[in-house]
Amino acid sequence: MTASSNGLMQQSWTWFSQALTQHDTFQGYFQPLIQMLAPQWSTDSYRAQIVDIRDEMDDMYSLVLKPKTGLIDRHWPTFQAGQFIELMVEKEGTRTLRCFSISSSPAYYEKTGLIELSIRIQAQGRITPWIRQQLKIGSLVNISAAQGQFVLPQTRADDQNLEKYLFIAGGSGITPFRSMLQQISSIASNSREQSADIQLLYYSRNNQHVLFQQEFEQLAQENSGLSIAFIDGEESGFICTEHVQAYCSDYYLRTAFICGPSPMIQQARKVLTELEVAQDKIVFEFFGAAPVEIESNEQGAVVFQTSDKTVISEEGSVSTLLEQAENAGISPVSGCRIGVCHQCICKKKSGIVFNTRTQQYSDTGSEEIQLCISVAQGDVVLDL
Amino acid sequence: MTTPLATNRPDSETLKAFESDLNKIREETIAKVGDKDARYIRKVIRIQRISDMAGRLSLVLGFFNPLFWIAGVALLALSKILDNMEIGHNVMHGQYDWMNDPHINSRKFDWDIWGDGESWKRYHNHEHHTYTNIIGKDRDYGYGLLRLSDDITWRPKNRFQFITYTLLSSFFQFGIAYHEVAGERIFAGKRKENSSLPISREALKHSFFSKIKKQAFKEYLFFPTLAALISLPMFFAVLAGNLVAELIRNWWTSSVIFCGHFTEDAHTFDETECENETRGEWYYRQILGSSNFEGSRGFHILTGHLSCQIEHHLFPDVPAHHYVDMAKQVQAVCAQYDIPYNTGSFGQQYWTVLKRVAKYSFPTEEEQRIATS
Repeated sequence: MTASSNGLMQQSWTWFSQALTQHDTFQGYFQPLIQMLAPQWSTDSYRAQIVDIRDEMDDMYSLVLKPKTGLIDRHWPTFQAGQFIELMVEKEGTRTLRCFSISSSPAYYEKTGLIELSIRIQAQGRITPWIRQQLKIGSLVNISAAQGQFVLPQTRADDQNLEKYLFIAGGSGITPFRSMLQQISSIASNSREQSADIQLLYYSRNNQHVLFQQEFEQLAQENSGLSIAFIDGEESGFICTEHVQAYCSDYYLRTAFICGPSPMIQQARKVLTELEVAQDKIVFEFFGAAPVEIESNEQGAVVFQTSDKTVISEEGSVSTLLEQAENAGISPVSGCRIGVCHQCICKKKSGIVFNTRTQQYSDTGSEEIQLCISVAQGDVVLDL
Repeated sequence: MTTPLATNRPDSETLKAFESDLNKIREETIAKVGDKDARYIRKVIRIQRISDMAGRLSLVLGFFNPLFWIAGVALLALSKILDNMEIGHNVMHGQYDWMNDPHINSRKFDWDIWGDGESWKRYHNHEHHTYTNIIGKDRDYGYGLLRLSDDITWRPKNRFQFITYTLLSSFFQFGIAYHEVAGERIFAGKRKENSSLPISREALKHSFFSKIKKQAFKEYLFFPTLAALISLPMFFAVLAGNLVAELIRNWWTSSVIFCGHFTEDAHTFDETECENETRGEWYYRQILGSSNFEGSRGFHILTGHLSCQIEHHLFPDVPAHHYVDMAKQVQAVCAQYDIPYNTGSFGQQYWTVLKRVAKYSFPTEEEQRIATS
């Protein structure tokens, strides 16, 4: 079948579903009934069961999840080491999403059908403490397919010229690296080949808070290519050029991967740039929403046309359109709140918005935007 | 006659106290909204889905025994009434948007009726809920077809408006669908000069036909044809069943809505008096322009809680099944400030609607004198 006739089939099927059920898909219409058999079954996510909840540290826990398989559940597509998933939970009737890196390896998933998420309890957070208290072994949660570009380039086994990496992790930003290191280690032990050459700089608040320390020490012992520097933040301070030069003298030969809290990422990028590492050799992933970096933030009015409300944004304040809408008492559909899930997409009628994820300014015309990562620049009119 | 608000309204001090009392009722209710509401609306949706499927199956089983056909019509009508009233109307008011559920939110929802949800949301939520019962501004007032107040000039066609009313109720789903299209004079009449239509006229026309096509396909072609596979005459049995179910739904929704705004004591207003209203003044007008009726819990659900039209107009985005409890509080507040609160049994209220339709079929004495002189 050609692509266009495929598209036509799809369109007709959607029309047919809309005609019979007023829903874009039949699954959408039958979802409430399917949920009677399979609780929490949903058209836009996968179900997973909590197999174990492990406290790692006083403010850190791991969820061990088993994506459901069977007749009713679609097969959860596997993932690449370093990717994250959206975890969806229903709290007081409100569906809430949070993104977490998978901290276990694809090889482990293949073997056991399990994935692990390692979650830091945000002291002021609404969700991370709640999950720890409310969810029990055996509870069901919803997860998305894995996504994200924070992955190692696929290296072939016969490739002689193996790439070298510099990993820089801050605190709970270690989770995607755990997945990568486990994966590399498991491949290496299977093929008995030289493993990739990796230098990991692992920053922690202090030497009491080193997540997975024992496990990493063991990994380093087993893999000759892996060397880890545990850096105590209290003692040695933030990342700086001296650290990089001291712990990784051949940094200029390596591709850098950075993950951690936003200020740490900003700092690490600055340091590497100062050391003249090319931008395309620096890969990073923000933990949570990307920080808003706007040079000048004009004062302006945000008009929510459908709700007939106008909000004046103050000079110097940087709240996203989603926050502004919520503060105005409008509750648009929202999801991850960091620009990943595309649920809060809304039609912008006019005006310029700054996208905090791509760091780009929009056009002035009408277009679809993601509310959670858009900051108004001057007057903006939204179809909301 | 329109109610002169300026002279009728309580003084501004009283209105302020009244406003804060109503705000308090709202806040206390909103604080309770959560888990239970999510479970409730999902349960109603499940009942609607089951009655939809059971109804269609039962219509076909009418092949064996006509009693099945009757049960099928009843179930299908129930499904459509629940979908339109307790689910659709309330979800599209944004009452459940806080759930953040992709299928139960005002942006995505569409209902099982000819009127396109998007179009309905545009005129209903804004126009009708803002300009409730303002003559000339609230096009829901008599739907441009009926004369329900002597502020509207009597025309000879009004003599037959009882027939018009009967037709409107029978084809209510077409009325709802045609409403915005008519308001924008898409097919007939002089083009509106200052239209605030946010989409193009072409797009409006398209969504109007597109939704009706889908509904007609489902009710008058697809399901009858499916039944015809069993035996040809079943085509007509199912078609008739679907039409009767729609007719029941049409009369039910029309009657519920008429009881909400067109009862004998429901007031009308003049546009100029409603400019720059305070929240308290707005509350006051919403109460005067709406009327409630009483009944059991099941009955309230079938009306989509529009039996509590007053509370719906005061708090359109509060999940509707709270209205029954809120009504007691609102009524007490109204009594305290000596503000009329229009409620009664469904029978009583409906009787006054019929009286109103009949009464304004005739010109006022003034108009009669002018006509005869």
